[in-house]
Amino acid sequence: MAYLEMRGITRRFPGVLANDQVDLIVEQGEIHALVGENGAGKSTLMNVLYGMFPPDAGEILLDGELVQIPNPQAAIRLGIGMVHQHFQLVPSLTVAENVALGYEPRRGMFVDKRRMVDRVREISASFGLQVDPLARVADLSVGVQQRVEILKLLYREARLLIFDEPTAVLTPQESQELFQVMRRLVEQDRTAIFITHKLPEVKSVCRRGTVLRRGKMVGTFDVAETSAEEIAMLMVGRDVQRVKRVPRQVEDDPRLELINISADDERELPALREVSLTVHAGEILGIAGVEGNGQVELAEVLIGRRPPLAGRILLAGQEITELSGRQRRELGLAMIPEDRNRQGISREMSIWENVIANNYYRPPLAVRRLINVKAARGWAQQLITDFDIRTPSETIQVGKLSGGNAQKVIIARELAHEPLAIVAAQPTRGLDVGAARFVHEQLLTLRDAGVAVLLISADLDELMAMADSIAVLFEGRIQKVMVNEEVSREALGLLMAGKSAVG
Amino acid sequence: MSDRLYQPVRVLLTLTIALIIGGIIIELSGKDALNAYQVLFDSAFGSQVALANTLLAATPLIFTGLATVVAFRAGVFNVGVEGSLYVGGFAAAWIGFTFTSMPGWFLIPAMILAAAVVGGLWGVVPGYLKARLRIDEVVTTIMLNYVAILFTSYLVTGPFLLPGMSNAMSAEIAPQAQFTRIIPRSQWNAAFFLALLVFVGVTVLLNRSTLGYEIKALGSNPIFARWSGMHVGKIIIVVMFISGFIGGLAGAGQVMGVHYRFIANFSLGLGFSGIVVALLGRNTTVGTLLAALFFGALRNGGSTMEIFTRIPRDLIDILQALIIFFVAVELSLSWLRWRRERLDRSTEAVVET
Repeated sequence: MAYLEMRGITRRFPGVLANDQVDLIVEQGEIHALVGENGAGKSTLMNVLYGMFPPDAGEILLDGELVQIPNPQAAIRLGIGMVHQHFQLVPSLTVAENVALGYEPRRGMFVDKRRMVDRVREISASFGLQVDPLARVADLSVGVQQRVEILKLLYREARLLIFDEPTAVLTPQESQELFQVMRRLVEQDRTAIFITHKLPEVKSVCRRGTVLRRGKMVGTFDVAETSAEEIAMLMVGRDVQRVKRVPRQVEDDPRLELINISADDERELPALREVSLTVHAGEILGIAGVEGNGQVELAEVLIGRRPPLAGRILLAGQEITELSGRQRRELGLAMIPEDRNRQGISREMSIWENVIANNYYRPPLAVRRLINVKAARGWAQQLITDFDIRTPSETIQVGKLSGGNAQKVIIARELAHEPLAIVAAQPTRGLDVGAARFVHEQLLTLRDAGVAVLLISADLDELMAMADSIAVLFEGRIQKVMVNEEVSREALGLLMAGKSAVG
Repeated sequence: MSDRLYQPVRVLLTLTIALIIGGIIIELSGKDALNAYQVLFDSAFGSQVALANTLLAATPLIFTGLATVVAFRAGVFNVGVEGSLYVGGFAAAWIGFTFTSMPGWFLIPAMILAAAVVGGLWGVVPGYLKARLRIDEVVTTIMLNYVAILFTSYLVTGPFLLPGMSNAMSAEIAPQAQFTRIIPRSQWNAAFFLALLVFVGVTVLLNRSTLGYEIKALGSNPIFARWSGMHVGKIIIVVMFISGFIGGLAGAGQVMGVHYRFIANFSLGLGFSGIVVALLGRNTTVGTLLAALFFGALRNGGSTMEIFTRIPRDLIDILQALIIFFVAVELSLSWLRWRRERLDRSTEAVVET
């Protein structure tokens, strides 16, 4: 019997029809996959279900009864819980305190700590969620923090749990553990909705799934009877093939070299420890690792935003350690920054203003400190054509473009000047399949043209498909540089978790 | 409606509401509001002299408004235009009453330049503190205003006090350094055209120059500006110099065109009114020019209105306060809307990534 039934959900935002007559049926005790590209309307649908905003039309039935969900409190009362991608935990409190926050058992005026801890221990035991209730959340790894989030929902007696791309922040091993937990949940009569775009995960934990595309429900599928390719086709509406990298011998022509680089992070704690890397011409070197292990600082050191404490950086043999960001760019270093909206573009500026950020000050765009707007706009029009940026005009604010098109603006700007080396930090994060594919093609074209590419990514699939060699960054150290064809996912996963690979 | 069309409509709406409420206040005090506004309008635009006096009153506001716009566009909240105005004004006056034997063709440019450079350097101090030591410019510029006001007061009560005078003012500047008045019975003078020149300059600077591009990038997203390789610290210092530079010109204009000497406390908040003007002008140069003319009309009309209708010119202050109030309300509303859109977008992004 259907546990949750959403019927004809329609939700409009100014200028966008985010959900258009969407139906979603989730059976009691299943893990239901909700898949779709970015902007397909998954989040809107789940936010409607979680009471974040009311639908313009449509109704929600829970356990056969029509329900109104005006706010998240109401959702929680109805037994609906959401594991957000960004954890909503108080780092300084213990696990038990976080789990019970707002719903503490009381004895008189006081919180009944013992009962609270016992209850948390009881729940964690019954669902196989191994956590010490007395540990401070700040001391826990990301994977364990996620368990605390799940515990929180179970403590509030959630019957329906929504997982919002839960594996994005996990190592492969942690993901496997999460899947175990999810299976335990449904064994004990809970129901789960699993939002993801990783189809292998869908295959391994879900029985059924629903696909959204451009705000519409385009189909449901039975996992056992549907191939990953078929699901992908439903998602994007056309046949999508993964990019194909032809392995080849890397030339011995070092383009970008880091020699014993050490650097601190914002809090002045060591973030990079004696990192040495060499990217050759025509090579993609992938940096794998769980986020927060020095990737951010690595990119900052390379582009000149963070002075290293020790070590040297060489670009095509020339030392650039002391050079400014602009000097490095002028020598041929390009950068696709991780935080697209903050570092890569100015949302309030137009496309043409964004694409000239690295050459606005020199001819032909500027003569005697005045910008030739006509030339700049012509340049932008050229890039819009060359890089297939979907926009009515170069005067549109970049903030109004989709994530994929905004990323194209950055890529167009960075690649237009024929770089010697490029640092691409999480370049496909948040992009839909088509846009990600575009980015991959561009990076492979660069590599084949002899550019050195440093690809920092938290997505192992991306690295396995793209990189010629892969290094793992763990706690600021490069664990090992390996040739792609000679390394397994499992070995990489172990290294990402800080365990040195055996053999 | 597009933003470009929408903005002026909203500004006009804001002004209308302020005028209506001001009218209600006049009626409540037992006077005829329509008549008052009629007189106000006539005294601001009704005759050649009235118009000249409106332009005269607008002149310092054009300077201080533009000085504020340059800084605000870069995301630098320079509240210290008032200070630059004082030190710049004094610098101009000092040259004017010290080198009295020099010819006018030398004195006038020298005084203007000295005022601008001194005002600019006054702005560089907080600019440097912000750029190098990350000290908040709002605090330092407010503080430096007091330093400038009190220091120039000291100069004209002590070392440069006009002999035989008890009021805190300097000697008159040389006659050949005084801007001539353009029409009889009005103090309207060449400083107005200097202000128009600055308007053209700032418009070109912000919209066409490479520095203007950097200012826009910095103001709209400082992190992006840094990652693009711009020297953000340098830009902040240059912006503060230009802002103070224009503030200094405001001081020179008042000294050389209106008072012909430096008088302690002569500005009475022209620098602060510049912030209101810039906000009402929506941080654009054209809008700021129009807003300055509007406030000039109010100030000029208000004085005359007082004489003819016995409505105290304090009403003008009330009107100005109402306008500030509604501009602030309107800006925070659009800010809230902008923020909500952004939140919607970011939750969208958070969930979808």
